[in-house]
Amino acid sequence: MNYSTINRITPYIFLAPAVIIMLIALLYPLGYMIYGSFRDWDPSQAIGESTFIGLGNYISLWNDPNFHESLTVTLKFAITVVFIEMIVGVGLALLLDRNLRGMSLLRTMFILPMMIAPVVVGLIWRYMYHPSIGIFNQTLEKIGLGSVDWLGQHALMSVIIADIWQWTPFIFILSLAALQSLPRSALEAARIDGASGWQQIIYIKLPLMMPVLIVTCLLRLIDAFKVLEVILVMTEGGPGLSTEILALRISRTATEFRELGVAAAMSNYLLMLLLILTIIMLAYNKIQELQAVRLRMAAEKEVD
Amino acid sequence: MYKPLKTLSMAAVATLMCASQAFAGPYDVYKDTTLVVNFPAHPHYNAVMKILPEFTKETGIKVEVDQLPYLKMRERQTLELGQDEGDYDLIAYVVFSKADYVYADQLENLARYFMNPKLSDPGYDADDLIDGYVYNIGFAGGNKGYLEGKTGSLFGIPYGSETSILGYRKDIFKKHGLQVPANYDELLDIACKIPKLEPGMGGLSSRAASGHHASHAFLLHLAPLGGRIFDDQWNPIVNNAAGVKAANALKTIVDCGPKGAATFGFGEALGSFLNGDTAMFLDTTVVAGQINNPKKSRVVGKVGWAMHPMGVRRGSQTGGFGIGIPKNAANKEAAFLLMQWLTSKKGDKLVALAGGNPSRFSTHQDTDVNKKFPHMKTFGEALKHADPDWRPIIPVWGKINADLGTTLSKVLTEGLDTKQALDGVAKRTRAIMDEAGYYTWK
Repeated sequence: MNYSTINRITPYIFLAPAVIIMLIALLYPLGYMIYGSFRDWDPSQAIGESTFIGLGNYISLWNDPNFHESLTVTLKFAITVVFIEMIVGVGLALLLDRNLRGMSLLRTMFILPMMIAPVVVGLIWRYMYHPSIGIFNQTLEKIGLGSVDWLGQHALMSVIIADIWQWTPFIFILSLAALQSLPRSALEAARIDGASGWQQIIYIKLPLMMPVLIVTCLLRLIDAFKVLEVILVMTEGGPGLSTEILALRISRTATEFRELGVAAAMSNYLLMLLLILTIIMLAYNKIQELQAVRLRMAAEKEVD
Repeated sequence: MYKPLKTLSMAAVATLMCASQAFAGPYDVYKDTTLVVNFPAHPHYNAVMKILPEFTKETGIKVEVDQLPYLKMRERQTLELGQDEGDYDLIAYVVFSKADYVYADQLENLARYFMNPKLSDPGYDADDLIDGYVYNIGFAGGNKGYLEGKTGSLFGIPYGSETSILGYRKDIFKKHGLQVPANYDELLDIACKIPKLEPGMGGLSSRAASGHHASHAFLLHLAPLGGRIFDDQWNPIVNNAAGVKAANALKTIVDCGPKGAATFGFGEALGSFLNGDTAMFLDTTVVAGQINNPKKSRVVGKVGWAMHPMGVRRGSQTGGFGIGIPKNAANKEAAFLLMQWLTSKKGDKLVALAGGNPSRFSTHQDTDVNKKFPHMKTFGEALKHADPDWRPIIPVWGKINADLGTTLSKVLTEGLDTKQALDGVAKRTRAIMDEAGYYTWK
């Protein structure tokens, strides 16, 4: 082996361990899931014993009204929680981005819900929503407003509230970090030019925070599509299918219905949906960046 | 001179060895064997943990228990039973697993153990085991594939099984001069009278949450009211008059139940009764131990027990756990000995006294057991009517059960018409059964 060959393959040798780990840890399970989704696979069988049925699982899901309902619930849930969490989280970050006494304690307290195990969050909210012993209904009754059937008639709203409570802090800390790393010069220039607080937020802070906000939103969206434990503990997907999001349906399909192939196909549908969303959001981010570059270049030309 | 002496002494030693073999106890061969068993975290199996040292003391066989939450247990067993060599010598399984495990050829047929004179205890008295439990949990291959019948055989023995029973507040019934309901008309009438007589109190607390809770509650009423999920040809008949009556009974019970009853799982339904929020509770016998536990209950000493009310027939539920030997177990014979010991008259009495659910008629009549748990006699009576066919135990039941449960939840919470809802369930069930091959012979 001559010197130039060694030189050429050296980078690949250094990359090899990472590639091998990625193949084993990432691509193998993913490939296994995709392979399984084409089979009629019962948990009592090894995957090799299952029957190949082509796109059978995908087609039957496409025509399954329960899957459609689950998908609708998932979209409603994910879009609502992420939208509200983004507004509240960013709002809180804008409010608390200042040097007040005890601010670090306050910030720590804000992020506490995120640190609690999801099963515990589910149990806490389930008891708070309890029709007779729950704090909400007891308080409402004390002030004469009558009780609310939280986990019955308003189940989806109730799980949305619990999710917002738990995950708004995530948006809050990331937004706060983004805010604190903004270039002070731009803000000072705006202040000197007489921009009001709102103008600073809308024209300076938010556009500069946008790349971080898009990634944050994407992370939350991916997570919201996969939330399982809190809803499982709070409502088990009910009443009817009103809170049965896809992650819960996948879990039930694998364990209760014992259809691993269908569960794998459903996971792949979810994966495709998330991939599309990710691509759209990253593309949007790219377009924004290109626009900013164009604007900057135009401005530079004018100065010249 | 020495030669005959040597022969004589050798003969004596051989005779002694043969004699000692002839008089060896059934457990001696397996002494110091360590069995690994998989049990659920469940009140009955907590009681079993207390009596296992007695088994080891008597037999010399050691037992290591892997106790798991029961849903986790099922996952673990699915993985373990699929291996060539499994970790478990004996497993407890929920009744639904019977269909899957037997169908996948993962459980030992118990015939060859009961036929083996060295293993089978002649005093076992299998006829004393509760019929409904044995056919529901232990049998496979008989009628409908999952019941007793001429083609069936035994794959497990009920252990930690349960039936349904009516618990009622003696003080409330006495205060208002109410009779304990003996049939469904009386049950529904009293369930709706209670909230008027005792403002703030519900009639009967039932599970009703979406999914298997609602389905379970519906099935509790379906069998006594004369219904079934399928006829003998696997045609869904859940939407016939009896099915509609059972669903309407559930709706009445929920409407007259405590606040928020439509979303109650088993825990909330029981909690509501223990908290004194309802006057009746119709569900599994397994709760009896908690009713008089002052740490968990506010109704200590106030609860009476009666048989599951009658509709057009008696038909209380059968469910819970059984124990079986996996095909891939390492110590099958010793596992059988443990299984036999646990479900023997002695073992059954010991576990009952430790707070478990007995599997034998005689244990329910036992003086010592009744002295400690006076409700046991009523439970024994109820068990005579335990219906092993109150719900089908077929591999596709999980899917049908989930659909039934979510649809019934819509009836209870969204006002969906009962007949229309059950027609939908029957239609979808037919499609599931068709896909699973149940109409191949039509």
